[in-house]
Amino acid sequence: MSTVIMGCAKDIVEHCGVPRFVWSDFPLGNSAGRPFDVESQTRTLELALRLLETAAAPRTTVASPLRWTADAAWKHKYLDVGKLSPEDIAERRKEFEVVKAVAKAKREGT
Amino acid sequence: MSAGPTPEAATPRIQFAPEDDVAIRYMDRTREYYQALGFSPYRWAHFTDAPFTPLRVPLAKARVALITTAAPFQPEAGDQGPRAPYNAAAKFYQVYSAPVDSKPDLRISHVGYDRANTVPEDLDAYFPLARLQEAAAAGRIGGVGARFHGAPTNRSHRVTVEIDAPELLRRCREDGADVAVLVPS
Repeated sequence: MSTVIMGCAKDIVEHCGVPRFVWSDFPLGNSAGRPFDVESQTRTLELALRLLETAAAPRTTVASPLRWTADAAWKHKYLDVGKLSPEDIAERRKEFEVVKAVAKAKREGT
Repeated sequence: MSAGPTPEAATPRIQFAPEDDVAIRYMDRTREYYQALGFSPYRWAHFTDAPFTPLRVPLAKARVALITTAAPFQPEAGDQGPRAPYNAAAKFYQVYSAPVDSKPDLRISHVGYDRANTVPEDLDAYFPLARLQEAAAAGRIGGVGARFHGAPTNRSHRVTVEIDAPELLRRCREDGADVAVLVPS
């Protein structure tokens, strides 16, 4: 079956290797376009449809020309470990231990 | 010595984009983050080749399947609102399917989306069902499958590859889909 992936994590999807990929340079969570912006979403889907029609080989990536913001400041804010104090790190470590245990319990209960 | 612009000044300079305005290196960033927290690094799926199936029917005649990693809202599973912290209790571990005839209530509190930069208040930004339905109404695609399908975000690559992916394919075929649009959130 012909497939296309719409996503934001360019390095992760390309590292995996997929048939066709529409990359939006947006924060993770906006794979299908900008929130509350129908035009952005329509354009992003159209890129995916065009890619289904035109890709000549696997691992074809198309970069959406849409911008999240004019500058790139937002790109430094995601999981910025440099901004965390040792106390923050200890706190987050504890939280993640809990998260892992919860996920494990749910997985085993499914 | 004559005043006036030098030839260099008369020529517009090439304006490159800033060096940091590139795709975020999520794997590096995630690795550094969890290493700082004291956890062993995650190994992402990696293949040096990928399968490829050419489009066999014109899109205007094709039935399109939609596959999402978003989760149906689960009343018993805690905060899944747009500002919820990462909520592992809202994860799901089996492929699910639901009809497309009404707008589903899907959330992404169970995945690591970018909580510093975005608030997932608009389903359409991570689940393009409405846009696909418009494309069908406009004749751009033949139609949308009667159901959409949910892909579990399971840490086990084996389960994803050997159990979940074949099950998703089976369901897409059952729906008569010709192509699939996969949208990780």
